[in-house]
Amino acid sequence: MRKYIFYFFIYIVFCLLQFCFSQYLNIFGIYPNFILIFVVCIGLLKGSFNAELIGFLFGLTWDIFSTDIFATRALLFTILGYCSGKLRKNFDEDSIIFQCFVVLAASLAYNLGVYFINYITIHDILVYNLGITLVRSISKTLINVIVTPCVFSVLRRVLKEV
Amino acid sequence: MNIHQKSKYENIVFVILLLICFLFIFGRAFNTVNCIKHFIYYLAYPNVNTANNILKISGNFARNIKSLLHLHQENIFYKQKNHELTDKFRNYELINQEYESLLKLLKLSKIENTNSIYARIVVREPGSWYQSFIIDKGLDDGLYNDLSVVVFNKTKDSFCAIGTIVETHKTSSKVALITNSESVFSVEIKNKEVTCLLEGFNSNLVRITYIPPSTNVNPGDELVVSKSSSFFNAGIPVGIIKEVTKDPYMDFQTATAEVFFDTASTNIAIVLIPLEQKQ
Repeated sequence: MRKYIFYFFIYIVFCLLQFCFSQYLNIFGIYPNFILIFVVCIGLLKGSFNAELIGFLFGLTWDIFSTDIFATRALLFTILGYCSGKLRKNFDEDSIIFQCFVVLAASLAYNLGVYFINYITIHDILVYNLGITLVRSISKTLINVIVTPCVFSVLRRVLKEV
Repeated sequence: MNIHQKSKYENIVFVILLLICFLFIFGRAFNTVNCIKHFIYYLAYPNVNTANNILKISGNFARNIKSLLHLHQENIFYKQKNHELTDKFRNYELINQEYESLLKLLKLSKIENTNSIYARIVVREPGSWYQSFIIDKGLDDGLYNDLSVVVFNKTKDSFCAIGTIVETHKTSSKVALITNSESVFSVEIKNKEVTCLLEGFNSNLVRITYIPPSTNVNPGDELVVSKSSSFFNAGIPVGIIKEVTKDPYMDFQTATAEVFFDTASTNIAIVLIPLEQKQ
């Protein structure tokens, strides 16, 4: 029971962090994707099962508040959670470089995934320009990689309590 | 074995979640999915655009709900209107009661269902001083023949009958006075409920004929327009009896009366237009 209350609390905290503070703490419109880092972290620390479920839940929440195609983020976070959980077995999840590398790969996959799903479903190349998307994706990815060690260290301590 | 089973669950859940996601992504072609999304969004952030989107997406059902909402809004609007009109009607009733009681207290005649138009007397010929005059209002102002004309009598503090419109032009009308020798209409002796006939004399005096012999008529009795008059509203003061002639050989009494209006000092006439017959 305590575990579920704790996860619910984490869910609320990350929702607030991602949706409420983004408009105040962004740098030229670029803001770290805390949910993605959290999903990857859960995947690496707790395994695929938890990560895919949390990813799906966070993705759906984000989709509800977004004007993009519904379930795009739910799909991407589920896949990323699952994949990061699978990587856990083959690499050392405590390594900061490995964490940053996984977050980098996940961020790029996530941003390009959003682009492609929107492009496939809406077919508007003007709205979803690949060049601009790449530049923005790389910027977001770099920001995510920068904050990854901090988020991981905090989450590692918090998750140990559960 | 346990790890293997856990991995199996992971994969199954993963596939199920993927299927749900794809269902949602491709389900955007279906209105239901969009509708659910907008509905949840509306619960989180209620706003008009989202509400409109929900109603747009959910097709016929939404159209019915939309029309119901419109009806509900209309209903609220008409209820408010109804309240306002009820209040106004209540006020009108109160004012009407007050008006009636004031009329009784002041002993004034009631002018009902008429629209008043004030007109200036512009032409009075010396040769027809007690016969007619011309007012500066005509067809353009909604006047027409046979409308009754009254004047305000300052001494009596009420409206008094003066004549009827006999000719109407674009911007002027001719009023035949009740003192005109061709003018005849029925009047009542006030508080005696006796109807008799008023005939003009081409002077400020008029002759009252067909007074029943049994009626006790005295000088000073007031004459008002009879209920059977087709020109004037009943109860409008006309004149005062000056002299009564009682001839035992005649079937009816005759009287001479003085009209209430003073032709010399009358400058403004009021034309009464019945609202139901207004052209």
